[in-house]
Amino acid sequence: MTRMDPAAPVYLDHAATAPLDARVAAAMAACLADTSLQSNPASAHSGGRAAAARVEAARAQVARLVNAPPETIAFTSGATESVNLAVLGAARAAPEGRRHVVTSRIEHRAGLDACRQLEREGFEVTWLAPTRDGRIEADTVAAALRPDTALVSLMHGNNETGVVTDVGAIAAACNARGTALHTDAAQSAAWIPIDVEATGVALLSFCAHKLGGPKGIGALYVRRRPRPLLQPLQFGGGHERGLRSGTLATHQAVGFGVACELAAADLTAEAARVTALRERLWRRLQAAAPLWRNGAAEPALPGILNVGFAGIEGESLLLEIDGRLAASSGAACSSATGEPSYVLRALGRSDPAIQASLRLSLGRGTTSDDVDRAADVLVLGVSRLRSALPAGALERVA
Amino acid sequence: MIDAGLAYSRRVLELFRALPTAGDLAAGEGTVIVGEAIALDRSAWVRFEARADAGRIVDTAFRAFGCPHTLAAAALASLALRGQTLTEATAINAGRLAHDLDAPPEKMGRLLVVEDALRALIRGAPRVQ
Repeated sequence: MTRMDPAAPVYLDHAATAPLDARVAAAMAACLADTSLQSNPASAHSGGRAAAARVEAARAQVARLVNAPPETIAFTSGATESVNLAVLGAARAAPEGRRHVVTSRIEHRAGLDACRQLEREGFEVTWLAPTRDGRIEADTVAAALRPDTALVSLMHGNNETGVVTDVGAIAAACNARGTALHTDAAQSAAWIPIDVEATGVALLSFCAHKLGGPKGIGALYVRRRPRPLLQPLQFGGGHERGLRSGTLATHQAVGFGVACELAAADLTAEAARVTALRERLWRRLQAAAPLWRNGAAEPALPGILNVGFAGIEGESLLLEIDGRLAASSGAACSSATGEPSYVLRALGRSDPAIQASLRLSLGRGTTSDDVDRAADVLVLGVSRLRSALPAGALERVA
Repeated sequence: MIDAGLAYSRRVLELFRALPTAGDLAAGEGTVIVGEAIALDRSAWVRFEARADAGRIVDTAFRAFGCPHTLAAAALASLALRGQTLTEATAINAGRLAHDLDAPPEKMGRLLVVEDALRALIRGAPRVQ
């Protein structure tokens, strides 16, 4: 999406949600306006079959983004539901004697809270710690696997730091032991070519609104062979091959499909362009030194730069830039709680350093002018707040 | 994202944007007194400087690290100190700052750091006969 109004805030919060692509909106509007597509896609009559055909065409588009057969894609309400279905569904359906789950301390709350629920149900969960630069190493995962491990669930690209996990290596270790690997690709699907067949993951979650599609729809890839056992979370109608009952919203599926097709068309070129913009932003922010980067620069998602400014309190910085730059202090999902980011804490950052950190996330609509304007706003804002600091605060708040 | 319109009162926004009296005291006559309080666990650090002459505060400045409410409260307290006797200055406290700023209850811990810095300032002042 291009920012039409030059006075509008620069939007660097794409990791929270990406603006709806105008072409996606047009496709959805056309679908909603088409009276021949208003039937329930599960109905057997001609109207239902017409809607179902649109849903299946969308499913094929969504599947192509991750090189999956269409029949392995189940539509959900979003990545949170996909992750819950994968984590809870796979663990609960695991054979007798497999009551161990491996995950990490830096998962999105969807994965984290689903694993906490499994603990309440009597599962044992191993919580892997990241390296100080935010990596979950394949060797660390392999070492945590046990004969009774039912599931490994790890994010592909971290939503706060952008650090990318080598899911291929982890899938190989899991598959060698007959353990299912679920990966949350909500952030990475828009940026990194994913080939579920080659990678060998058993389950993969992603959603539409992180890649220019609508909110309210996501997908769970479920491998064909060997097919992981999954217990549904909701019942009533047996939709989505029994995995997720509920009438599908045809226009949502259409929007998701178009968004995936658009993302796939320029994925590699956009990833390179946005990576260059991210590094341009990092270079320009050096004018606000002392500052630091949270998480490794590579391998990382193209659009995420998590940066901390010494001597700065995050809430004040957000208000300072409000109206000129949209960004997040920590993750949007956790900033609602007002708690310091548990992800940055797991990286060993102090609470003041976490408070001093900001997640800047670029997207397909981001331009070099946006980046330069954002850097100017931040450098100016940081400078003004630092001008009021007590002596010694710059050194102690870092 | 913070919704500035919902999260902050007009007074907080005014003070945060202008930060009146932020910085260091200008040169002048009288005795300079300093009060500081640090609570990094609450992300708050406030330092007041005041110039007292004949028992009355004639000039003030502050420096602060913290959230918008902390900065606004420090600025408000610094302004309120001007022209006060030290005894009168004791009436400035976290409750009054919270009321004047329409601050939510969860900010009280940080406003108490502002009050602590004020108390330190008043304690450090020479008594005038």
